[in-house]
Amino acid sequence: MAERGRPSFRLAGLGVLVALLCLWELASRTGYVYEVYFPPITRIAGTFLRILLDGTLVQHMLATLGRFGRGYLLAAALAVSAGLVLGYWRLLFTFFEPLIEFMRPMPSPAIIPIAILLFGIGDEMKIFVTLYACSWPILLNTIDGVRSIDRTLFNTALTFGLGRWELIRKVVIPAASPQIVTGLRISLAIALILVTTAEMVVSNDGLGFFILDEQRSFRIAEMYAGIFTLALLGYTLNRVFLALDARVMGWHRGLTKKEIL
Amino acid sequence: MAWTTESRWNGVLVLLAVFPLWELLSRAKLLHPLFFPPMTRILRALGEIMLSGNLPGHIVASLQRAAAGYFLAAAVFITLGILMGYWQRLYNLFELVIELARPVPPPALIPVAILFFGIGNEMKVFIIFFSCAWPILINTIDGVRGVDRVLVNTALTFGLGRFELIRKIIIPAASPYIMTGLRISVAISLILVVISEMVGSTDGIGYFILNAQRSFEIPEMYAGMIVLAALGYTLNRVFVLVDGRLMGWHKGLTARLR
Repeated sequence: MAERGRPSFRLAGLGVLVALLCLWELASRTGYVYEVYFPPITRIAGTFLRILLDGTLVQHMLATLGRFGRGYLLAAALAVSAGLVLGYWRLLFTFFEPLIEFMRPMPSPAIIPIAILLFGIGDEMKIFVTLYACSWPILLNTIDGVRSIDRTLFNTALTFGLGRWELIRKVVIPAASPQIVTGLRISLAIALILVTTAEMVVSNDGLGFFILDEQRSFRIAEMYAGIFTLALLGYTLNRVFLALDARVMGWHRGLTKKEIL
Repeated sequence: MAWTTESRWNGVLVLLAVFPLWELLSRAKLLHPLFFPPMTRILRALGEIMLSGNLPGHIVASLQRAAAGYFLAAAVFITLGILMGYWQRLYNLFELVIELARPVPPPALIPVAILFFGIGNEMKVFIIFFSCAWPILINTIDGVRGVDRVLVNTALTFGLGRFELIRKIIIPAASPYIMTGLRISVAISLILVVISEMVGSTDGIGYFILNAQRSFEIPEMYAGMIVLAALGYTLNRVFVLVDGRLMGWHKGLTARLR
């Protein structure tokens, strides 16, 4: 796999991408594909710039991001806390395990109708749906992380006379954090999917609403511009997460690398 | 503390307690009985729609779509993954395109799919196909690349041709990874079938649930959700069973090595 980083191969990948885009443009301009469904790339790009500059995209993106952020962060706070408690007290876990096993296999979009019933069609509904869907990976990973902590760590901490709260704060949370972060990363993609879906089912703003609405009004270039924005958002969020992860969890990677060497 | 035993019965007890509690709270109107109808009414609704033949039709419709998209994605992307894992050049050519397409949240493509396929089955199959693609593709590529060099070299020493090598060495050696991708995609296919049926459909379990809510048939809505949960659970169990059969050799192997 030494070839992987070689610039000539990276260039080949870029070449394929550019070739595909040119092909799209040509096929659309010459009428080889139906131009209404596949507007030329240049027109999509122009539309993207136009609705970006007149603020339409920004407004919908902010609405989506607001719901996403509140649902996701709320899920993180609740599910990590619940996961720590359930992972730490085995007894408690035995009480809730079947309930969790019972609720988990239900595909999360199925919660949307209940959310509409309870919260109406406003922001709360979308935040609740996001919160619900994100909670599972975070909860299960946190429980797993806490349960798989090395016994030696516990015993050492207890030997040094740490109290229960100090034990959780100084040993349990740091030791379980790699798995907690895994849960948080999985939930990042899920959150975006559920926000978009909820916005498609009922909303009057947000990127999910925007994309579906443009399609229904047959403004196809706008629709593609919206999808591109959403992809960009997904990509950026993932990048931001990875950057944060590297900062916060740098100590962990340093540790495991040292152990391997 | 009366409870000190860590038995599985604790949880079953909690689960069993939830139902009468729900029933009581609903009947006593502590929970809004319109939004949280008594459990017995939900179960009765479940029995009615199961027997009336209404719900089984929706279940079959959903399952067919999920299966079509899932198996199509499996066939196409396992093949592609093996090729891309094996030929580094092919991987390099398409890496950038894949990295750009992957972060698109699958629901974002529903409008495009409606545009091209209308709101029929093809639209849903396409969405499921697209969303199942990534876990299968990425895991297959990873699996093929992770195949032990010694295995490949041994096979070459024994004079295996390229296609025999792929068939007899690469595919079996990569299969644990491929199975992981397939397992992740089972859950994804069910999620996306529900989403696509909610956005544009006239049948299927996702449509049924949303429609029940919109017509304020709340017990039916909950009944649909219970069916969906049971469906997700069953599909997962079936997968584990098939996995155990197909991959039994692998589990035996790794257990022995340990």
